[in-house]
Amino acid sequence: MILETIKSLRWTDFFLYAITDPRELYRRIRQKDPDPFALSFIIPAVASLFDILVLSLAGKETGFFYYKMSYGWILVFIYAVFKIVIYSSLVDVTAQFFGYKGNIREMLTIANFSIFPGIFLLPVFYLFAVIDFAPGFFYVFFSILFFIWYVMIFVQGISEMHSIDFGKSFVIFILPALFIGIVVFLITVLLVITGIGFITA
Amino acid sequence: MERQRKIMVAILALLAIIAVIAVVDIGLKIEKKTKSDIKMSLPEFGPGVGIVRVEGAIEMSGTGSPFGVPRGAEAVIKRLSEIERDSSIKAVVLRINSPGGTVAATQEIYEKLWKLRKKNIILVASMGDVAASGGYYIASACNFIVANYGTITGSIGVIAYSPNLKRLFDKFGIQMNVIKSGKYKDILATHRDMTPEERSLLQEMIDLSYNKFIRDIALGRNMNQEDIRPIADGRVMNGETALKNKLIDQLGTFEDAILKAKELAALDADAPVYEQNDSPFQEILGSIKNIFQGEMGLGSELFHNTDKIEYRYMQ
Repeated sequence: MILETIKSLRWTDFFLYAITDPRELYRRIRQKDPDPFALSFIIPAVASLFDILVLSLAGKETGFFYYKMSYGWILVFIYAVFKIVIYSSLVDVTAQFFGYKGNIREMLTIANFSIFPGIFLLPVFYLFAVIDFAPGFFYVFFSILFFIWYVMIFVQGISEMHSIDFGKSFVIFILPALFIGIVVFLITVLLVITGIGFITA
Repeated sequence: MERQRKIMVAILALLAIIAVIAVVDIGLKIEKKTKSDIKMSLPEFGPGVGIVRVEGAIEMSGTGSPFGVPRGAEAVIKRLSEIERDSSIKAVVLRINSPGGTVAATQEIYEKLWKLRKKNIILVASMGDVAASGGYYIASACNFIVANYGTITGSIGVIAYSPNLKRLFDKFGIQMNVIKSGKYKDILATHRDMTPEERSLLQEMIDLSYNKFIRDIALGRNMNQEDIRPIADGRVMNGETALKNKLIDQLGTFEDAILKAKELAALDADAPVYEQNDSPFQEILGSIKNIFQGEMGLGSELFHNTDKIEYRYMQ
């Protein structure tokens, strides 16, 4: 069954539509033909590995690279999944707050496929690193570009999921980020105040 | 559609190939580097020399630092206790860069060093910029003392002081209300003149501490007290003069002190040296604390409490 699905190449549609048509991507996710939930977690795994490779290409590597490629990869992957689960949950909760039906499974799948274009940072950055043409600048430039692409896919996925316009789905997407930002800011301020008080006591 | 799927598979395969190429590329770059560049630092083991550092004013700071990390004399004693338990450390180099400090803190370090000396652990003192008064006191507990030509040492003596602000108080019409349980309870008070009885009482205490200082130096240096007293008048001297007066054994550097410690402990010249390593966490916390308190070294210089009796070189 699994072999047949792999041979049919229908699973490649998710990757294709993640790049070309995020709304169609969501429709395919909903159809579950095949069920892309488990498949989608391959993307954060590969993205974690590629992130490590990009950073390793950018810096001067030592023997520690092999630890990064093994243990480091596992840790980065766990951290990436943790981020995706937390953020998808918050987006789903926000959608429910606005009166839409929640579906965390589909939300996680959209979030995972949204980071697929980010994988292309490796070949793009590698090119500039090999020709040694402002690799640092292009790393930042393409990171921003791929992040915007990630947001576009995620927001269009939400839009298709709840049949709402782009603006409203963008608000649903951005509100958890604002919430996290405020919470992190307040925690930082409290920690700094507590730390200074504790250290100078 | 089938064609698009095949293209997608090709793209994914290409990505995988690029990743493999990147791994091989990075691996080759690492291989190109010399072995020393990628050598992992291995922990040293076996009989060796332990380093103990005494920096700044010597005083009991207790565990006043975050997370109960000892500071001041407590930290030095903790390090010496670690060395005492560590069977692989056969000799200790005590690196001193201190003008001295409080009597009790200095004596605690001295006693701890004596305990190690009695256990046949070789102690070698290495003096830095300054190892005067209490700094010299603790050095005298060592089997061998090495100082630089320019090291400021000596200042053998005891001091207690407090400012007399009576005239200033009178000028501004400030009066102190003092309720005390005994006539000496506000000894060293700054708002009035010291009485002859108070001066006599403090002088007696100073003399006792001074005599203890002389006794301990004589014991540590294996000298007669009478030979020390003529130069134990608080005078400071450089390393060269200290050598002439037999207060030190050799002029030399920190490296010379380590070599001497190895020689006295019958260790190989390449025996490991166990440096005093604070954890990065401790160093960060210490640095942050120094920034906020304007403090350097082990003791507080800027907020120095005057109501103390000290073995200290007043700079």
